[in-house]
Amino acid sequence: MKPPKQRRVSLLLKSLVSLPALLLSGCTMDDLRLFHPVGLVARAETHYIVLLVIAMSVIIVPTLVMLIVFPLRYHHSRNAKYTPDWHFSLGIELAAWGVPFVIVAYLAYLTIQGVYAVDPWGPGILVNAPGASQPPITVQVIATDWQWVFVYPDQGVATIDDLVVPAGRIVKLQMTSTGNMNGFYIPQVAPMVDVMPAMESKDAFELDQPASYIGFSTDFSGAGFSWMQFSTRVVPQADFDAWVKSTQASPNQLTYAAFQKIAQPTVNFGAKPAYFAAPDKGLFGEVIMAAMQGVVYPVPDSLTKKVSENPAQGAQTPASPQ
Amino acid sequence: MQVAVDGPWSPLLGRLSLAAIPYDNPILVTTFAIVVVLAAVIVGAAFYFGKVGYIWREWITTVDHKKIGVMYIILGLVMLFRGFMDGAMMRTQQLLADGPASPGYLGAQHGYLPPYHFDQIYTAHGTLMLFFAATPLVAGLGNIIIPLQIGARDMAFPYLNATSLWLTMAGAALCMISLFVGEFSNATWVGLMPFSEMPFNPGVGVDYWMWAFQLSSLGTTFNAINMIATIVKMRAPGMSWFRMPVYCWSSLTTNIIGLTIFPVVTVALTMLGIDRYFGTHFFTAGYGGNFMLYINLFWIWGHPEVYFLMLPAFGLFSEIVPTFSNKALFGYATMVAASFSIGGIGWVVWAHHFFTMGMGPQLNGYFSAATMIVGIPTGVKAFNWLFTMYRGRITFATPMLWAIIGLVLLLVGGLTGMMLSASVFDYTVHDSLFVVAHFHCMVLVIGSALFAAVTYWWPKVFGFKLDEVNGRLYYFTFVVASLLVFVPLFYLGFAGVTRRLDYIYNPDLKSLLWVSEGGIGVYFISLFFFLKMLYISLRDQIPAASDSWGTGRTLEWLTHTPVPFYNFAVTPQINSRDELAWRKANGVENVQPTQYVPIHLPNSTAVPFLIGALSAVFGFAITWRIWWLSIASLAAIVIIIIIRSFDKNEGYVLSAEEIARLESRPDLASIIAEQPKRSSLAHVEAI
Repeated sequence: MKPPKQRRVSLLLKSLVSLPALLLSGCTMDDLRLFHPVGLVARAETHYIVLLVIAMSVIIVPTLVMLIVFPLRYHHSRNAKYTPDWHFSLGIELAAWGVPFVIVAYLAYLTIQGVYAVDPWGPGILVNAPGASQPPITVQVIATDWQWVFVYPDQGVATIDDLVVPAGRIVKLQMTSTGNMNGFYIPQVAPMVDVMPAMESKDAFELDQPASYIGFSTDFSGAGFSWMQFSTRVVPQADFDAWVKSTQASPNQLTYAAFQKIAQPTVNFGAKPAYFAAPDKGLFGEVIMAAMQGVVYPVPDSLTKKVSENPAQGAQTPASPQ
Repeated sequence: MQVAVDGPWSPLLGRLSLAAIPYDNPILVTTFAIVVVLAAVIVGAAFYFGKVGYIWREWITTVDHKKIGVMYIILGLVMLFRGFMDGAMMRTQQLLADGPASPGYLGAQHGYLPPYHFDQIYTAHGTLMLFFAATPLVAGLGNIIIPLQIGARDMAFPYLNATSLWLTMAGAALCMISLFVGEFSNATWVGLMPFSEMPFNPGVGVDYWMWAFQLSSLGTTFNAINMIATIVKMRAPGMSWFRMPVYCWSSLTTNIIGLTIFPVVTVALTMLGIDRYFGTHFFTAGYGGNFMLYINLFWIWGHPEVYFLMLPAFGLFSEIVPTFSNKALFGYATMVAASFSIGGIGWVVWAHHFFTMGMGPQLNGYFSAATMIVGIPTGVKAFNWLFTMYRGRITFATPMLWAIIGLVLLLVGGLTGMMLSASVFDYTVHDSLFVVAHFHCMVLVIGSALFAAVTYWWPKVFGFKLDEVNGRLYYFTFVVASLLVFVPLFYLGFAGVTRRLDYIYNPDLKSLLWVSEGGIGVYFISLFFFLKMLYISLRDQIPAASDSWGTGRTLEWLTHTPVPFYNFAVTPQINSRDELAWRKANGVENVQPTQYVPIHLPNSTAVPFLIGALSAVFGFAITWRIWWLSIASLAAIVIIIIIRSFDKNEGYVLSAEEIARLESRPDLASIIAEQPKRSSLAHVEAI
């Protein structure tokens, strides 16, 4: 009777103990990107959550200890002190309401402070950024089904699925969508913000060092949603200028008419970039106005059913962000 | 008139055609075969054992709150299984479709499910788990326990109670039919706007989702009305407000929430329906529509809905912890206050579901702080349970084990929930798998409470306990499986993986996905132990005492086990908050009544079942735009209700002699025993 039971328990214990080991063996801390924020905004987000978790631990840890100790200590076999009718203590009740109240007040204070610091419409924390003295660069982001169009109104260029920004300057994003809601997100770099049709939302970040990251849509928008990645390249100012110049000379022009073709539902497997000259400064506004006036790019059922069903369609290797 | 639809439409069959049947999908064909075989076995067994009449008389047409509760729970468990299978398919797809080099099977480019199918599966997973697993389980337990705990004969409105059940069943039936005829929604369980509108979702999937949701929310609204009326008006003499068990209080809070929020979602879904059927623009982006309105309406329902499910779980813990600590509940008054605080704050925190929508720091700050306040009463509840255990005499029966793991999960879910409520952090993990892991922690709290409660009250309903050995094996495997599945999801969230992806572009996360998949495997083992537990318990049927666990404190443990269909032979007089504990302390727990008075009980009626069946027909017809059938079924429902309103049947009277006879043979009065035909009051008067 006893041995199999013991074996069962030890097996259970072993599997419990091996769980973190399994996780650690496969997943190093490097993979946990959110613990490696880059730039002031993302660093502030991580900073605040670490503070908040420490503050919460003041309650969570003792509660967890009690939750483990009490059932063992007062198990009937232990014959510990037993007070069957004890059911009220003013002191404990005051502490049970009071301590969490104090902690929550502190958490709320921290959070509200943090929300102002990272507010995507104008992050307070970027006021002190090294690049704050430079004029910010504006990029207009248009999410289509299912690609990202980045328009640089001041530079007169545009790209698909490739966000190129200069290092050391604040990047201000104005965002909208042609039809569906999407979420704009660059882990480690830019906060997640929804991108909505007929509306403009904003996001901002600033990076000092050249690097590349992957961004993607976070809010489901249809059958091609899982392939909505885009590369984010932070390049030195000189390289950026050179890139703008060469792109301006591109024979492809992103007019509103050309945009309407791009906005037709398309899955861009592997996020292959495309580059355009875009002298039309009003494109972004036109897209918002069109959405308000009811322009949609419908996704027929037949397309939804077909996406990624046909192996011939895929097989492209992803464009590696460089 | 109707909005132009994709594909053919005929007056007779609407959009329905043979092309709607997915006979070319091997997964669905296999599922269909299994469902047909199971249905054939069940129906065949009913005929073989000659139980068709019994099932019709004693179950389908019943208005007995306990039988309705049992049927709710059966529905909940079946849907829990289907929801779990959906979850298993999702985890497998993500494991297979990881990285651009990942292989494709069954015609999919990556993994084995194309996006079209995968998106339906997670939509179904969310919809089924919330509306057709968790809600029926909570409603079923409430149905069984509340009248027993307050010493009532039945719910305030037994006929309405059965109608609620059959409306919920109709919704579940629509979800099941959508598997084999047409498609389910791919617009997520929340119904993304404007994605759920016709331009982006021209198929019948969203309509299936919308009508299934609509029917079940109607059922839940009716149930809430019924519960509130029952708790307010039907308490036994002597049960003042502050002698009510805490579960009744939490149920009252819950149902006040339910009554106030479900109409909101009914309206929101109706507006969506008008958009989809008549081409209006409530929730479109253009033409002056405002999809933000839908998102707000949905979460004004959706967040309180979380507490609608969570508070009953808290109430269940508050019954189970004292029983197995053999001690009075600590801090009764603050428990009640905490329930109402949670319910109250629940109404004013909805916007934390869309912190990323650019509300500005003022609103985000407010909704963050408001959400954090929920942590205070929830913490109070946790402390009160802890101090109930403190200086108690604890036994680790299966329900207590579930309760303890429920509290652990509540701590983890609470910690991560507080993290998410900080919108400064939410900007990095909103829509990530971290959120998914967090709310699964929370629904597992509900799940733990439900499993605890089903094990705890099972003997009261059926007269025998569930097998403890297999119950424990089920418990341990379930806990290990949950850890394996959801801990990696927290990690993946921190690795920047978001929700609803049928393809994950980052191949470095394979090991975490494997661990999660391993957890799914362990869930299958736990499912085996669950079924084994049911089998062994049903085979052995070891009779349980009326106070089945020996340390019961509340009224339901006073009456016979299994509980007779009339609940209490004599309406009990309440002397204390923990009535049974009081009677034990005063040595009167075994005192039997010396004489019985006749009991007035309601007759069974087929009307609720017919309303439910016709609602399912209506839902199916309007989903496929078969106008004549929708109008006909709706008209039939109205006619049935009118006919029923002229029905003079006022139930029947159980005579004192019969009560005396049934009291000496409790098995004859159990809810599974067949009852003889008793003449109804109207009939008696006519004679």
